[in-house]
Amino acid sequence: MGTVHARSLDPMPMHGPELGVQADDIEAPEIEQEPKQEVLENKNVVVQRVHIDGLGRTKEDLLTYEIAEVFRARNLIDVMRKSHEARQKLLRLGIFRKVEVVIDTSRGEDALPNGLDVTFEVTELRRMTGSYNTMVGNNEGSMVMGLKLPNVFGRAEKLTFQFSYGTKETSYGLSFFKPQPGNFERNISVNIYKVTGQFPWSSLRETDRGVSAELGFPVWKTSQTLKWEGVWRELGCLARTASFAVRGESGHSLKSSLSHAMVIDTRNSSILPRKGGLLKIHQELAGFTGGDASFLKEDFEIQLNKSLFWDSVLSASLWGGLLLPIGDKPTSIADRFYLGGPTSIRGFSMYSMGPQSEGDYLGGEAYWAGGLHLYTPLPFRPGRGGFGDLFRTHFFLNAGNLCNLNYGEGPRAHLQKLAECIRWSYGLGIVLRLGNIARLELNYCIPMGVQSGDRICDGVQFGAGIRFL
Amino acid sequence: MSLAADAFVSQMAAAEPWPENATLYQPLKEDQILLSDCASSLAVQAYLRMCGLPVQVVCKANAEYMSPSGKIPFIHVSNQVVSELGPIVQFTKAKGHSLSDGLDDVQRAEMKAYMELVNNMLLTAELYIQWCDDATAAEISRPRYSSPYSWPLSIILAYHKQWEVRKKMNAIGWGGKTLDQVYEDVSQCCQALSQRLGTQPFFFNKQPTELDALVFGHLFTILTTRLTSSELAERIKSYSNLLSFCRRIEQSYFEEKNS
Repeated sequence: MGTVHARSLDPMPMHGPELGVQADDIEAPEIEQEPKQEVLENKNVVVQRVHIDGLGRTKEDLLTYEIAEVFRARNLIDVMRKSHEARQKLLRLGIFRKVEVVIDTSRGEDALPNGLDVTFEVTELRRMTGSYNTMVGNNEGSMVMGLKLPNVFGRAEKLTFQFSYGTKETSYGLSFFKPQPGNFERNISVNIYKVTGQFPWSSLRETDRGVSAELGFPVWKTSQTLKWEGVWRELGCLARTASFAVRGESGHSLKSSLSHAMVIDTRNSSILPRKGGLLKIHQELAGFTGGDASFLKEDFEIQLNKSLFWDSVLSASLWGGLLLPIGDKPTSIADRFYLGGPTSIRGFSMYSMGPQSEGDYLGGEAYWAGGLHLYTPLPFRPGRGGFGDLFRTHFFLNAGNLCNLNYGEGPRAHLQKLAECIRWSYGLGIVLRLGNIARLELNYCIPMGVQSGDRICDGVQFGAGIRFL
Repeated sequence: MSLAADAFVSQMAAAEPWPENATLYQPLKEDQILLSDCASSLAVQAYLRMCGLPVQVVCKANAEYMSPSGKIPFIHVSNQVVSELGPIVQFTKAKGHSLSDGLDDVQRAEMKAYMELVNNMLLTAELYIQWCDDATAAEISRPRYSSPYSWPLSIILAYHKQWEVRKKMNAIGWGGKTLDQVYEDVSQCCQALSQRLGTQPFFFNKQPTELDALVFGHLFTILTTRLTSSELAERIKSYSNLLSFCRRIEQSYFEEKNS
């Protein structure tokens, strides 16, 4: 959760980046250029054999793709570099706990004088790993159990099951992930899930039961995802006092949608990056493949980061989205966009702006939001080089708008509507980076351009999330 | 409905008079609504007409899920939502409209007993025939119930509803009954009602009460709805005073308003 566009309950993150070691956490060891090695660099060598020790379930044909490059090395430095790359590739498969590389001169009868043997000593992950934790949040406590089978069939396939049993809601998800051998970025995944969410800002409760199939592949510098999703959505009122507009949306619907996402990410880290940019474009067509919901949804996200003096970073982001209903049926409350809160336009309460009825926010069919941040290290830099580096101070300026578009007025009228009554806010706060996946914020916010019906959070606001404006 | 909710509704209701724009929600009349829901909805409509309270009937495919109790029908009056006949009677009473004020305590207890009889016998029999009789379930109930949804949701929802009703039937001991036994129960219920009514125009003499609305809702709907077998309607047709009772209420509360 925590996405501005998606009331759609994302299934639990069953695949994707693993929480432990991240690729960009591992700094590639610089290969030291000592005078002695300069001689070696020029010496031709031949990699004669590559051994992989410690294989159990893993099929060898999968690994030959990953280590093939090592055979192409022509000198010692090359061998070292390529072995290092192969090691990284092996680790990325997510099936080994440990990979060590040993380079030695060839032995045996057919050994060449300049022949080398490279041995990868690997330790496989266990056949099944489990996790158990408790979570508290959203006025609810829950117990989350996870079961993971890395490398089910020996070719880096991953089967994940997650079950969350809460005081109010129960959710589960089963996911199967298979990469193409030798090309980890090209992969397919299939998910089955049931997720229940409560959205107090809309007095709405949503239960999604769904199936999805996803194909991920890289094209040039982008990563592309094609997805089909079939979701049975059940909406209901959270309380008897819910507004009649929300009550009117109650009931069952079936969404079958095809979606495409394209991401270019050149940032050095997804949380508190120092440099680089992000471009994300997502489009979804529902109703074409059946179901009750018919719409076309487009949204994008842009982020640019630039390092300035004294370790400070200037970051600018822009989000926008449009939801077009197809046919005469109006859009569902579950598909519309929501804006506001500590992860988007700070100074407003969570998803509490725009169209509403009796205090329940109904979401909008178009939105834009922009943010400008200046991140600096903590004043006087306490804990420098350690714990203190997880913190940043930031000054921010957020602005955006969310509204419904009356189709038929023409594009000019739509743009004018989005430019009217802009909500904006500014302030400053402290950001804490949690691993490489989430961040916490404590801000002092001053909301401006507040429209009647918007709920504001003037002063101190706390935020936690994965995706931030 | 719980006591606390009852108290809440009454308290809220007393504040304002009956508005002009009150609405009653029920499933789609042509393609979706089932006998039991139609009967309950008609009973509430008859009750409100007897009270002289205007209400506009709105058909919504998701009416069942919009209802706070999950039952059909429900009314939306100013900003309040009340479902089913019992709570609606309470609600109108709090607003100063009642049909049973003229009754004494004994009569009121008798009226409640007969209303329970109708709910326990007629309504349960309707549900049994709709969902537990395989022919009716396959030919009428499941296709109609699921008509607003697309495949495969339509199948899931229809069978889920059937499973729920059958579970309830088992819980109240109707699971093992045969269709004939159910028809026999309906006959007995009708006989009791017929005897109570006798030659009076309404169950409690000259004035209609919520019992009249409830009986009318069920009997009229059974008489006018085509099912796989006409046996249910035939059972009622053998009580002539109930038939004329239905015709009388239809004429005095429905036809004159339409013309």
